[in-house]
Amino acid sequence: MSTSVAPQESVLSPKFYEAMKALEPQYPRKTALILPALHQAQSEFGWLPKEALEAVAQYIGVHPAQIREVASFYTMFNLKPVGKTHLKICTNVACVLRGADDLVSFCEKKLGIACGETTPDGKFTLSEEECLGACGTAPAMMANDDYIENLDIPKLNDFLERSQHER
Amino acid sequence: MPKCTIDGKEVEFKAGENLIAVAKKVGIDIPVFCYHPGLSVVAQCRMCLVEVEKMPKLQTACSTPATDGMVVKTQSAAVKSARESTMEFLLVNHPLDCPICDKSGECDLQDNSFSHGKSTFRSHEERRTYVDVDMGPVIEKSMNRCIHCTRCIRFGDEIAGIREMVAIQRGNNTDITTIDGLPLQTEYAGNYSDICPTGSLTLKDFRFKKRAWFLKKVPSVCTGCSRGCNTELQYENTTVHRTVPRFNADVNQYWMCDEGRFLFRDTQSKDRVVEPRLGAVPATWDQAVESARQIIATAKSVVVGLGSDLSLEELALGQTFAEELKKAGVAVTLGSLTGAVITTEQDQPLDALLRRADKTGNLKGAENLGLKPISEQQSAKAEVLIAVTGGRVRVPASNGRTVAIGVFRAQDTEKFSVTLPLAAFTEKDGTYVNFQGKAQKARRAVVPAGKSKMLGEVVMVLKNVQIAEKVGA
Repeated sequence: MSTSVAPQESVLSPKFYEAMKALEPQYPRKTALILPALHQAQSEFGWLPKEALEAVAQYIGVHPAQIREVASFYTMFNLKPVGKTHLKICTNVACVLRGADDLVSFCEKKLGIACGETTPDGKFTLSEEECLGACGTAPAMMANDDYIENLDIPKLNDFLERSQHER
Repeated sequence: MPKCTIDGKEVEFKAGENLIAVAKKVGIDIPVFCYHPGLSVVAQCRMCLVEVEKMPKLQTACSTPATDGMVVKTQSAAVKSARESTMEFLLVNHPLDCPICDKSGECDLQDNSFSHGKSTFRSHEERRTYVDVDMGPVIEKSMNRCIHCTRCIRFGDEIAGIREMVAIQRGNNTDITTIDGLPLQTEYAGNYSDICPTGSLTLKDFRFKKRAWFLKKVPSVCTGCSRGCNTELQYENTTVHRTVPRFNADVNQYWMCDEGRFLFRDTQSKDRVVEPRLGAVPATWDQAVESARQIIATAKSVVVGLGSDLSLEELALGQTFAEELKKAGVAVTLGSLTGAVITTEQDQPLDALLRRADKTGNLKGAENLGLKPISEQQSAKAEVLIAVTGGRVRVPASNGRTVAIGVFRAQDTEKFSVTLPLAAFTEKDGTYVNFQGKAQKARRAVVPAGKSKMLGEVVMVLKNVQIAEKVGA
């Protein structure tokens, strides 16, 4: 039985439990709520710490390993802390044909980090991403939740400069 | 009954049966990895692809139910080529370490590669590698060998009832693991090794002990609890190396618990007493038997306790022996010695799968023979207690003298006047009645350890039947 009130010990906010309560009737089984629950939990921390995964497991009523399994499958869930701007550059066929590899190495050089890493100042995390579904406007990337399409190196450079100086 | 045709052979089937099961009826083996008859069907390894007439593509036999009039080909060129490709794909990351792999000789991957794979290999890519992981007391994982069939994940989820084994990451990076590599919690972990189609999940107890092809096998029955799981003892010469479950639809399906799986280790432990003893002191059979006969001969009354861990045959023999004592003028109290659970009514399941509270193998059998449990007062007050056990039953304390015939550990024997070592369950044939009332036969794997003897022989020497004298030699 679910409860709209957050369990005392939970690292997740009461808002999480309220959001889940509202979503529950829309899903056939509680396990179908794993993805929305993970999204909601990630919105609270920016990533998914172990305690959050355990709280989600407890809420859904499954073994924590099963939640880890789902969270590790999808690249949009971060199992490590990420920087303020999370760059996800698509490196699937269409984007690579249009120069995505160059974009990745440009970022690595400019930010001084490898793929999967975060800059020491915590501003950027760089990741490769599977198809973003933006093949018509390749090469494409996501910066946090926003799409940036028809990329080239100057455009990417501009974006990095702007983000660098944002507070 | 509806009929279908497989490789030109007509087969009758029940509605809902899949092509693998139907093909088996006419002796056609379709190669599989992810499919296991005791688990749900996921059709992800693609090894069981077959050609079905009127269907445009090859179908996975595991997930295709037979239909009336269906025509199936399992040996066509398209099927053979698909199997070759699947094998090549599954071997892309598999190390060629069969010479040092425990699964070698009984490995689905090896067998299917031999029967259905190609002898050439096109990949020059580097193989992914992992460090072996200790998964608790029972299982060691070699992820390098894994082909991601997910049998283990489904076993945990559907049978053991705990989804602790999961697939982390995806694609080529998929790692079958517990959360942060925590030890497995289930009491049924040994089954992970049984169902693994590669050498990825191996039994720590069996690892690097014996090549599978040297093992001889006998059907046995687990005497670890009243479930009576059907098992197979695998041994060479005088050593049992492994116990694996044997399929029985009504009793244990394809599974067994870890306690039962490793029960044989007690019989080979250094701690087991395999020579007669007087108190804690080793003696010869002649000395011990002489001493036991004197104790019995001078007693006015004896209590004979027969362990509910003995086979039916041994219980019946014990009863006869007690009857003969009675005839000889000794006051005999005959009954059963049990584990913590005294009657079958108290015997409850310990979980939803197999394990039961009564930790002896034949409580039901003892009850069927009319044996009533011996109470603590009866044994405490006994002038002489003759206790016969198979190793699972505790001999109760007695203020009189105790003649103990059975399988004991060294520390048990100190309080006994005489100890006569008996063959353990791996060392004798016998019948055990499980909690359902099924009488099940267990066969002997190895000879009795050390100087231990069968109960029949012990009873004969106790009764001092001097056959040589009778036949006038």
